[in-house]
Amino acid sequence: MADLVISQIILDDIIAHAKELTPYECCGLLAGTDGIVSRLYRIKNIVAMEGAQNLSSFDSAKVAHLERLSPDERAEIAFVMDMQDFSTAKKDMRNNGLDLQVVYHSHPHDPARPSVTDIKIATDYEEIWPKINLPLPAYLLVSLMNTEPDIKTYWIKAGRVTPADVIIR
Amino acid sequence: MIKVRIPTPLRPLTKGQGEVETKADSVVEMIEALNSTHPGIKDRLCDETGELRRFVNIYVNEEDIRFLKGKDTSLKDGDEVSIVPAIAGG
Repeated sequence: MADLVISQIILDDIIAHAKELTPYECCGLLAGTDGIVSRLYRIKNIVAMEGAQNLSSFDSAKVAHLERLSPDERAEIAFVMDMQDFSTAKKDMRNNGLDLQVVYHSHPHDPARPSVTDIKIATDYEEIWPKINLPLPAYLLVSLMNTEPDIKTYWIKAGRVTPADVIIR
Repeated sequence: MIKVRIPTPLRPLTKGQGEVETKADSVVEMIEALNSTHPGIKDRLCDETGELRRFVNIYVNEEDIRFLKGKDTSLKDGDEVSIVPAIAGG
């Protein structure tokens, strides 16, 4: 059995979200039941908000890099989820009996694979998910670097990245 | 005592500790108490009006305080609080 089942409609919605925000990174959540994704939540990328880079598990090199950029430029190479949006999505999931399945974001200029920062933050977050009563999600990346968008999904566990088995239907 | 889980980005302020204990009857009191023992923590969590910043969430026993009483959420002995930084990436 596949790790995840995602409809083409949801994938098209992720691509539409990425294209709407390019050259900035988009981010969001997919929820469902038993690996079957049924709902998408767009979350605002607030990396440009003052101080966001300091409380987001970025390493010091990434923070220094972000601080050299203008707020607009920051959103081209990073995302920070608006946790108010996140809370609203989490509540909606609970009200509808859904679980978090996937965290997604876009790479407007880079391939659809996790960056060093993505891996570090996902690894830091492994101990947080159970504390907030959510299962460990898969990570989906959409790349817009080529004409044809590329989508790939991974598990990130203990700093190791492995492809997730996804059925599209 | 209240047990507070400190996320990685704030650990430089707690001398590397991932968990600290404090006494407080509400989240706002907890933030003030943490700030007196670990100066600078309040500024990371709250904006200039004292509201929780949008890139952080606080959970009391797995419940999001945004859906309780926000920073006025009450705390009692034995409660576990998690400070959760925003999901992020590059």
